[in-house]
Amino acid sequence: MLFRVDPASSVPLGDQIAACVRGALADGTAAPGERLPAARELADSLGVNVHTVLRGYQRLREEGLIELRRGRGALIVPGATAPDRARLLSRLRETAAEARELGLTEKEFLDLARTALG
Amino acid sequence: MNPVAPPAPLRSGLHAPLRLRILTALPFVLAAGTHLLLLALWSDRLPDRLATHFTLAGEPDGFTGRTAFAAAGTVALLVLGAAWTLFTQRAALWGAWLTAGLLGTLLCLLLGDNLDVTDPAAVSFPLGGLAVAAGAGAVLALAGHALSRLVPPEDGPAHDTGVDPEAPRLDLGSGEVAGWSRATASAPLTALGLLLLAVGAVAPLLGGRLLLPLAVLLAVPGLALARVRVSVDRRGLTVRSTLTPRPRVHVPLADIAGADARDVHALREFGGWGYRFRARRTGMILRSGEALVVRRGDGREFAVTVPDARTAAALLNTLVERRGRL
Repeated sequence: MLFRVDPASSVPLGDQIAACVRGALADGTAAPGERLPAARELADSLGVNVHTVLRGYQRLREEGLIELRRGRGALIVPGATAPDRARLLSRLRETAAEARELGLTEKEFLDLARTALG
Repeated sequence: MNPVAPPAPLRSGLHAPLRLRILTALPFVLAAGTHLLLLALWSDRLPDRLATHFTLAGEPDGFTGRTAFAAAGTVALLVLGAAWTLFTQRAALWGAWLTAGLLGTLLCLLLGDNLDVTDPAAVSFPLGGLAVAAGAGAVLALAGHALSRLVPPEDGPAHDTGVDPEAPRLDLGSGEVAGWSRATASAPLTALGLLLLAVGAVAPLLGGRLLLPLAVLLAVPGLALARVRVSVDRRGLTVRSTLTPRPRVHVPLADIAGADARDVHALREFGGWGYRFRARRTGMILRSGEALVVRRGDGREFAVTVPDARTAAALLNTLVERRGRL
């Protein structure tokens, strides 16, 4: 799986790392059940702080895309629905960013989302 | 870097320079010469039949006539020397010196032990002799390694060859940092390792006690190699077992001339699975199929079978070119 981060970007590095995993899962270069590199290893590889990587992994765990196990590292959740879930989460982030650009408040955005859910 | 360059010619031992051949043959000739010289100098101090084979306790259990011993030793050294000279390589010159040093020292020690005895059955060859031979072999191996500097490297400067323009690239922003990492497993190696362990576990029940440690000795490295993680980043290419961070195979970015993804055949190209050595290439071969192949500065190749190798090759090529621009 390819990880790419741009330290000059306004997006936090941890979020950039999470976006890489989401993207790889969505386009099939990472498969459900695959093990992610250990946080320390990835941090050394990219020249970032290990806590930055862990923040990214934590975000992915909150989204239900990976499992974090003590001593066993990070594992993409097994199951055929993981890629679809990753695609949905990517689009959701894009939509949220667009809403922010349009100047919507959090409440307005959530109301719209609720309406869309019908 | 020039953009287009012909592929580096494959140069095996069959096209080695004369100087390298002479340096390869030299230790064998020296060993054979020393061996014959000692035989001649000590001709009246050696018995007609020499003790030439010994038990682990150092007692002789095999005897050879003096002429036959001289002939056998010389022929063995010359045949080995001829084979080494035919297939010699600059990077393996030390091996020729090690081989000749080991064998030559053993032959000379044997002669020394037979010196001034009347009954060859009374000769003893202490195990320490093997250590002496190993030490002499090691010293000569170092000498051989030092001598390989007298031979020019087999290929021209490789950093001029540049990355193949057809090879994949990644569009990476100038400020962007990228790394690629992938774990991969080998079904044949896993199966083989488990089978060995099973055989080893059953063998003691049938009376084969020695098989258990042997099976463990073979199965553990096999199983460790069966799952590896391949990573590519600003430091180069690293392959290591998922079980332990070391030992690992690392090709520094500075030593990489280019990378590509292609299909490799485990048996046909590498003669099997595992960590494989060939004349101009090494490989971590876990299966046949998609592999990341990097060309090193000296023209040799390192291959590792891994899925999504194209992305890894693209990243390596991009990093290599970025290094070239700095």
